[in-house]
Amino acid sequence: MDIILAALKNSAILTGQLLLIILPLTISYEFLKHRQQTLEEKKWKIFGISSNGLVPLVTGVIIGLTYGAGVIIHSIRSSNMDKREAFLIMLFLSICHAIIEDTLIFVVIGANGIILVVTRFFLAFIFTYFAYRWLFFKKSR
Amino acid sequence: MLKEKQRNFILNNLKNGLFNGFSVILLMVKVIVPCYIIIELVKHFGVIRVIGDFFKPFMKYFGLPGEAAISIIAGYTINLYAAIAVLSPLNLSTKDVTIVALILGISHSLSVETPVTQKTGVSSWMLFCLRILLSLLAGAGLNLIWTLF
Repeated sequence: MDIILAALKNSAILTGQLLLIILPLTISYEFLKHRQQTLEEKKWKIFGISSNGLVPLVTGVIIGLTYGAGVIIHSIRSSNMDKREAFLIMLFLSICHAIIEDTLIFVVIGANGIILVVTRFFLAFIFTYFAYRWLFFKKSR
Repeated sequence: MLKEKQRNFILNNLKNGLFNGFSVILLMVKVIVPCYIIIELVKHFGVIRVIGDFFKPFMKYFGLPGEAAISIIAGYTINLYAAIAVLSPLNLSTKDVTIVALILGISHSLSVETPVTQKTGVSSWMLFCLRILLSLLAGAGLNLIWTLF
């Protein structure tokens, strides 16, 4: 019985710590969602991802795939983008998404946050770059 | 007029944000409490040694104790909160937690996120396999780099 009580107490503490992280984040996500228009105006192209892809990309990296799903699916479908470009975006996002939330909840239980963020961004850039080279230059060689 | 609009905008965002936050917390409590209790019981009755020994040969590539496999499987199939609830009572070192976090950060809650990738029109099977493969490679790579330096 003692173990169950101790587990209940510890899990309550853990939930409380996560609550302190999650609540400010979900509130700021709501404010971020309304900033989309400013992103759409930027002209930028890197690794085969054009300005159309910037909205789903930034949404995914900051908010994550679960909460940003609506925005990501809508903006990829409505902009009629190249299938290859959509694949590159999803590849980048699958390695590097919800970068704030995921990192912070692991920092709570003792992980090194800087290593996590840097490694995930690094891997995402590397793999997107190679996928881009492979997808877009396959025919020209 | 403008001020009124702005206030409504802020209040609406606050309301939606709080609502989303509390639904996340509800989900968290539903997952964390049972997982935490189960893992503490498993630890108490010594079953964790058996599970740990079983996964030890696989986990040695990541420099992790065998028990960490439970957390990784929980993260893959359920979600990150379950993984954390399992990981927290194990009292691992910073290096171990960071490696688990990297593996799980790249691929987690696959049951929820694979349908999202599917709806964008991208081949979800390919991404699914890529995510698992990449997460394991990243974990092994980080372990290698961490032990070298």
